[in-house]
Amino acid sequence: MTEARIQSFIPLKTQWFHIMLSLAAGEQHGYGIMQDVLDRTTGKVRLWPATLYGSLKRLIEADLIEESKKRPAPEEDDARRRYYRLTTLGKCVLDAECERLQELVRAIQTTRAVATQRG
Amino acid sequence: MNIAWPIYRRMAEAFPHEFKLAFGDEMMQAGEDSIGEVAKRHGAAGVIRLLADLALRLPLEYLSEMHRDMQYAARSLAKSPSYALVGVLSLALGIGLTTNVYTQAWALLVRTLPGVANPNQLVTAETPASYPYIERYRDQKDLFTGVAAVQNNVQFNVALPGQSGKPDRVYGQLVSPDYFSILGMEPQRGRLLNADLDKIGVTPAVVISDRYWRSHFNADPEVIGQIIRLNGQNATIVGVTPAKFDGALTPTPAEIFVSLTVPATLAPELGDDVLHNRNLKPFQLLMRLAPGVNIDSAESALDGITRRLDKDDPLAPSQADKAKRLVLMGAGTRVQVPRDLRPKILGFYTFLMAIIIAIACLNLATMALARGTGRRKELAIRLGVGASRFRLIRQMVTEGILLSLIGGAAGFAMAYALGALAAHTRLPAGSPLNPDRSIDWHTAMFAFALAIACGIGFSILPALQATKTDVAPALKQGTAVQLSGHKLFGLRNLAMGAQVSGSLLLLLVTGFLVLGILKSNSVQTNFNPKTMAFLFIDPVRDGYSPERSQTFFEQLPDRLRSSSAVTSFALAVQPPYLPGDDEDFHLTVDDPHSSSPVQKGVMKETVGAGFFAVISQSLLAGREFDERDQRLNIDPTSQGAGQSLPLILNQKAAHALFGGSSAVGKHLRGDRQEYEVVGVVPDMKDASGMTQGIAYLPLTRHDFAQPPSGGIVIVARGHSAEDAIGGVRTLVASMDPNLTLFNVQTLSEYLELIRAAMRSALRTFGGIGLFGLILSAVGLAGVTGYAVAQRRKEIGIRMALGARKSQVLGLVLREGATLIAVGTVAGFLGAVALAKAMSAITTAFSDAFSLGVGDPRLLIGAPLLLAGLALLACYIPASRAMAIDPLKALRQE
Repeated sequence: MTEARIQSFIPLKTQWFHIMLSLAAGEQHGYGIMQDVLDRTTGKVRLWPATLYGSLKRLIEADLIEESKKRPAPEEDDARRRYYRLTTLGKCVLDAECERLQELVRAIQTTRAVATQRG
Repeated sequence: MNIAWPIYRRMAEAFPHEFKLAFGDEMMQAGEDSIGEVAKRHGAAGVIRLLADLALRLPLEYLSEMHRDMQYAARSLAKSPSYALVGVLSLALGIGLTTNVYTQAWALLVRTLPGVANPNQLVTAETPASYPYIERYRDQKDLFTGVAAVQNNVQFNVALPGQSGKPDRVYGQLVSPDYFSILGMEPQRGRLLNADLDKIGVTPAVVISDRYWRSHFNADPEVIGQIIRLNGQNATIVGVTPAKFDGALTPTPAEIFVSLTVPATLAPELGDDVLHNRNLKPFQLLMRLAPGVNIDSAESALDGITRRLDKDDPLAPSQADKAKRLVLMGAGTRVQVPRDLRPKILGFYTFLMAIIIAIACLNLATMALARGTGRRKELAIRLGVGASRFRLIRQMVTEGILLSLIGGAAGFAMAYALGALAAHTRLPAGSPLNPDRSIDWHTAMFAFALAIACGIGFSILPALQATKTDVAPALKQGTAVQLSGHKLFGLRNLAMGAQVSGSLLLLLVTGFLVLGILKSNSVQTNFNPKTMAFLFIDPVRDGYSPERSQTFFEQLPDRLRSSSAVTSFALAVQPPYLPGDDEDFHLTVDDPHSSSPVQKGVMKETVGAGFFAVISQSLLAGREFDERDQRLNIDPTSQGAGQSLPLILNQKAAHALFGGSSAVGKHLRGDRQEYEVVGVVPDMKDASGMTQGIAYLPLTRHDFAQPPSGGIVIVARGHSAEDAIGGVRTLVASMDPNLTLFNVQTLSEYLELIRAAMRSALRTFGGIGLFGLILSAVGLAGVTGYAVAQRRKEIGIRMALGARKSQVLGLVLREGATLIAVGTVAGFLGAVALAKAMSAITTAFSDAFSLGVGDPRLLIGAPLLLAGLALLACYIPASRAMAIDPLKALRQE
């Protein structure tokens, strides 16, 4: 897995980032991802169904996520649901994107701190 | 919520099959779960947002599927390069030829004139009219918003500012000043002609075409206001027409537009007081129908008016009362076609295009069918792992479309090349410029749409057939499984038979046309054509007064006789062998004893003294014109001064008018003029291959004073044509160095150029016929090849059991031969029926067809050629079948 391949996905599309972030915690199904993103962003970001599943399809095609064979306990399971998890490539890409965003936040903080001092 | 859920479900169900397979259930559930929550939290706006998300994603998903299909199709085509190559080639030929026919025919017949507002409201009459009549038509304000008078193909001697040497000959139109306002046209530069400004007596104004502006003024923006010399007189350029416009009502481009309010010294066409003389009918009508008026009611109203006007004129020839005096037709396209003929001509071209495309598609369909058989295993596997039948069909159709698009691009390039070739064909000198038939975005759209239609057309049936597979046996046996359709009327056999008959039909119909054109083009001269030359001269348009021009032409013969380089000569309005004027000249036999006089329409040609001697044509009876006739001073516009003009008829005209009895000495009436037949000449074929009834009129002093728009041609013979040209040039220069000799050409050059112009038509039709031939051969070879491959095992068993090679060959050939025989008979009958039908419904093709149909070379040769080629195409794969090693073939399973 080359660095170039990872970098080709950076910056990640917003929906992709949210989906992958939800999967970072572990396997999840589509509707769960939707709820997770809603909760995490306190309702600010909503992945509408068609966008969600269209993105999942493309993430699978891009080899960033894959379908997981591991399923929850039978009493919680819904046979219609499919569970997804990050691939190794997906993890690397998510790490790289997080790194990029953190640098961005650091840069913002430094710049604003300087501005406040001068101000 | 209650309404939203069914909409959501419908849209979710509309997603591509593959997508639904993976995410359909979940998406449905997610919608069901979230729709209530969304409605609660965001209200109606949220629900709309939810549905909009679906609506936006839906086409995206299909596009992405298509993209994948295309990639898959490209890979699959790359895997069978010979199929792809043959497919692209046949489609390129098919689409290219169709597009070429489309540009040739549609550009002239269907495409509306550029720069014209509402071209569908423009109409014209089939026959020309006199100016006083046009003024009366113009009064019908409730029928027309405007009526303009137009004289076409008017030639001008033009000298541009700063031009040294002889002026150029330029084709233009003489129009009433309301011409452009009736067209609803805006100038590109300056102003157009205008009834308020371009009145009688003001400085002559001219408008030039965009094409002329670019070619002669280098698109100079300062062109407005420049003064040019027009037929020796000053005229001011006031405007440039919009791009691409070069005249209405004319198939040949006009480069200069002159108002008919200019004096007759500038435009000799306006002599004879033509604007007030109701006996002269040089003008075509250009009319714009008033809103809400249809062409039929306008026609009957105008017909009534014409009838009343004719009644007021005691000298007008009495006409059969039922006949229409005036027939209208649309004028919004480059070529005007009578309304009843139009659907037939368009129908012929549509049929031609349809059959070309159908053959290309059938060819590909048969190959795709055969290929589908070869792909049974692949298809079965994909069906087995859950691909839907629809998905596979879509995949195969996508392959078809991809192939077709590549073929379409190549075909478009071919049509473009053919168009460029046609545009550069040199025309005989004196012919107007080539009309603009360049390829535009309409054509590109046409080719593109055609390619898509072809792609779907040829692949859908084979795809349906190929996917009608039982998965289990197909997986087990692979390609060798016996097709269910080895029936006599199987899809493949029908397609093959149709293709053979279609190809033969195309070959024969185009063959008829080609032979017809070829035969008609063999002009026979009674002398060596290398000894004759034509030189045109037009003193009046070089600034001579009518009297001076008359004197010039009276002196010319004596001077020419003294020239040693010119052995014989004659003057005429038209060079010999040129197709006749389309205008009918009505002659009536002057017989006081008969109650119903014989009246016939013939072609009119005006020739001078000794014309037939120069072309070495002896007369059948009587005499030809001599110089006494040339000195006659009869004005054809005067009301028959009692003096009769001599007239020579060709055999066909003489027979039509007088039957078996001798024509010489008989009297005729025509155009308010008395004529006496002084001679009869044999029929001569003109360059278009037709022999028409022709009346030859003598060139008179009137023609010398006011030469017709094309000038007067000096037909001269010498030891060689070049000698003759040199002799005439020296002599005319010695009489007046300022006189222009134009369109100078030898007879052989002239004949060669006429043939060259015809050859482009030959190339098109011949190419189409050849294309059908090649395609059907390729198709047959491909299909037989597949059939052999399919039956390898069977052939192997037969050979192992002792079948001889010849028996195997017969087995393979029999099927092909039956198809060829059936297809040949059907195609032959179809072609003969079509040719007969075409000749019957329209005269436009009858001459070419009637010359071509009777030719045994074609009637026997074409079917034999096709059948032979087809058999050969079958033989090659069949001979390969003979080489099958029975052991290998059997071991393979």
